[in-house]
Amino acid sequence: MTIAEIVAQASQSAGSLGAPASIGLSADECLKCNVCTTACPVARVTDLFPGPKYVGPQAQRFRLGSELAPGSGALSVVQSPDRSIDYCSGCGFCTTACPADVKIAEMNNRARAALRAGHRPRFRDWLLGQTDLTGRIGVLTAPLANWSLRNRLFRALVDRIVGIDRRAPLPRFSGRTLRSRLRGHRRSRWSPDAPSADSTIVYFHGCAANYYEPHVGQAAIDVLERNGFTVIVPPQVCCGLPLISNGLYAQARGRARSNLAVLAGYARAGYRIVGTSTSCTHTLKAEYREMLDLDDEDARLVAGATWDICELLLDLHEQGRLDTHFGELDRTLPYHAPCQLRSHGIGLPALDLFELVPGLRAVDMDHDCCGIAGTYGLKSEKYDIAMAVGAPLFDRIRAGGEDQIACDSETCRWQIAAATGTRLRHPVEFLAEAYEAYES
Amino acid sequence: MARADVAVVGAGLAGLAAAIRLAESGARVQVLATGHTATHWAPGGIDVAALPGAGTSQAAVEQLARVPGHPYAFLAPELRGALDWLRKTLDAEGLSLVGDLDAPLRAIPTSIGATRLAAILPEGMAPALAPWARDEVLVVCGVAGFRDFWPEAIAAGLRRPGTWRGQPAPARIEAVSVELPGLEGRHNLSGLDLARLFDDPAWRAPALAAIRRAIEGGRPGPGSGAGRVALPAVLGLHDHPAILAEARERLPLEPFEVALVPPSIPGLRLFAALRAALRRHGGRLQVGEAVHGTIGLDGRVAELRAPAAARKFVLSAGAVVLATGGIAGGGLLADGPGSLTEAVLGLPVDGPATGSWLLNDPFDPAGHPLEWAGIRTDSRLRPVAPGASGRLLAENVRIVGSLLAGQRYLRERCGDGVALASSSLAARELCR
Repeated sequence: MTIAEIVAQASQSAGSLGAPASIGLSADECLKCNVCTTACPVARVTDLFPGPKYVGPQAQRFRLGSELAPGSGALSVVQSPDRSIDYCSGCGFCTTACPADVKIAEMNNRARAALRAGHRPRFRDWLLGQTDLTGRIGVLTAPLANWSLRNRLFRALVDRIVGIDRRAPLPRFSGRTLRSRLRGHRRSRWSPDAPSADSTIVYFHGCAANYYEPHVGQAAIDVLERNGFTVIVPPQVCCGLPLISNGLYAQARGRARSNLAVLAGYARAGYRIVGTSTSCTHTLKAEYREMLDLDDEDARLVAGATWDICELLLDLHEQGRLDTHFGELDRTLPYHAPCQLRSHGIGLPALDLFELVPGLRAVDMDHDCCGIAGTYGLKSEKYDIAMAVGAPLFDRIRAGGEDQIACDSETCRWQIAAATGTRLRHPVEFLAEAYEAYES
Repeated sequence: MARADVAVVGAGLAGLAAAIRLAESGARVQVLATGHTATHWAPGGIDVAALPGAGTSQAAVEQLARVPGHPYAFLAPELRGALDWLRKTLDAEGLSLVGDLDAPLRAIPTSIGATRLAAILPEGMAPALAPWARDEVLVVCGVAGFRDFWPEAIAAGLRRPGTWRGQPAPARIEAVSVELPGLEGRHNLSGLDLARLFDDPAWRAPALAAIRRAIEGGRPGPGSGAGRVALPAVLGLHDHPAILAEARERLPLEPFEVALVPPSIPGLRLFAALRAALRRHGGRLQVGEAVHGTIGLDGRVAELRAPAAARKFVLSAGAVVLATGGIAGGGLLADGPGSLTEAVLGLPVDGPATGSWLLNDPFDPAGHPLEWAGIRTDSRLRPVAPGASGRLLAENVRIVGSLLAGQRYLRERCGDGVALASSSLAARELCR
């Protein structure tokens, strides 16, 4: 076959191959200018990762062949001999920096998936994916679990045996889940029988707000109720992102199907689904389709109905529907925008909302990545890389001396809090506090 | 939906300069860009204009201002103020520019062993601008394992007759290569790797010592006259001024940086400085997706849209500055059948007939005809229809930078000057 024939065949089949192939084929647009490499936080700090261009568009020529082969599963690709792609943290800055619209991060995510396909995941990666399971056990045994996770001997053993770094920022389990708290307060309805889709919000709390930070979920519910919404908290499981990040795609698809089965009904009825975790909401918006190949009507409906909490509140404000009676919060508030938020492509809505709060002086720290990238920075072989990626951010926070920092994503909050000893809070917590300040 | 007084599309020199100036005067500014190009690809100097026979940038600008349809025809008066503004803005971020409109255009070495004309350069590259004295030696110093800067090939090119464009050339040109600490056996180094290593004070001290030894080894004997050393432009990203000072102190010859293939380290420094200035004045920058908008029946663009996860990102804006660049920057799209489209609003493009697009000589000194393609504007930078009608197309839109029709930014080396002058005018216009 001549090159011209291969190209002709590729471009012919590209249209019919759907999202996965269009991601893979976008390598054809690569100019090899290396702008992506300048934007890569990991390549900035380690030689172990040669940068997004080398493992992405450049290595893609080794992979494309079978992705185009008829009848091939989307992930059954020939491998590039280079395995350094495992060091990609998946932050996505390469794709945003690319002037030629090459889907570098998406391409690399799929290549990492293919690298793991057919191999049994190591126990550590399996464990990091089971946020529902560890969350449930952790909450039930919170005093013991929290003591163990702060016990140096235990952590040293886990480091040696499991491969989770002894210094990694593991969050504290809450004594009660958000769901059980809500049941006690009878604050939420459990079935979609609320008055109207327009005045009702479906809250997707994810694992973080349920098992670790119920106060974040509570703040979001308070803020939504303050604005006259009824908040529904339907049954849900982990969005699946920790499974995707750790190569457990079959399990992730199971989680996705469970969530879609519940959420699609609400989406179809016109309800908005709101989350406080930018990672969960991005998974609902994009990853079910891009990474798990669940591109059916349910997945599209749910994606279209899903909002990040700050995105929704800003949208309400644009429509003149946000209660702007905020009390004064007199503080300078450094803000870190998580990588996952940037992948939403919605700007920095938290900063716009902070402008509505009297006295609150929010400052965008404009640093790319804190390093943690979900579960990446927890792993023994990657902990130092993650800390080096976040180092300029940590230095800046330490030098600034502010005692509270705002950040939309839980794993980033835990990483930054552990590295700097400051208090990290979700933007919606400050809004809830400003509403309270108005009342008092 | 987000809201801004002004939406700037494009994050190159033109877009960022316009955005910073607007933010300085109190406007709420949002910059949207598909990705990074101009600053990350460009050598990092400020090219205002360079023509054979014109001794200074100012002289070249005056020539270009007489070319019918050239942006300098109405932008030339903006230049001086725009350059002063840039100098002040970069100074505040720790980046110094040397040279001005009236400085002589000098032949400076490039990393392929040719020369180019330049007059305004960042501090690290600027020593190349001084005329070469009769006995001066130029040492071209490469790094072993770094494939974007071949000292022997560069020296050979620079020794060829005619390379220095009739200007004084070094008396002697030497090539040396140096092994830098910890990089023995490496063959895949990038300029970015080296720049980041130089940012580390513990690494650069022995590195500069190694460069010093290489320079001294490459010269016939100590004290054999004055000279300068050409280094690849990798002297740090974040700590550049300190590294430069250290290099000057520790090296036996005055060092200067030579621009490399992309990604350009001096360009990244320029981008970082402009980005910091934008943030300082409260402007926002969002990078990642191609932006689109439509001109309403009232002749205004009310909002811009960009793809996002799940639904479009919508930015409502009082005015729009298009700083998306020409063909290379992605502001103009050329399709197979030979039509030219403006990427954001679909504005009609003035450009050469399709038949002239294919050149027999890719290095034709007249440049490629597509270079002058772009958007025609009135003297207030508002887009107008090409041709005789000159009908105003969008009231609240301003066109800046390489998207402006009539310039040949590669051949005339006027890209940065047009970017600065037009962004200065656009910002003033929109602040009225």
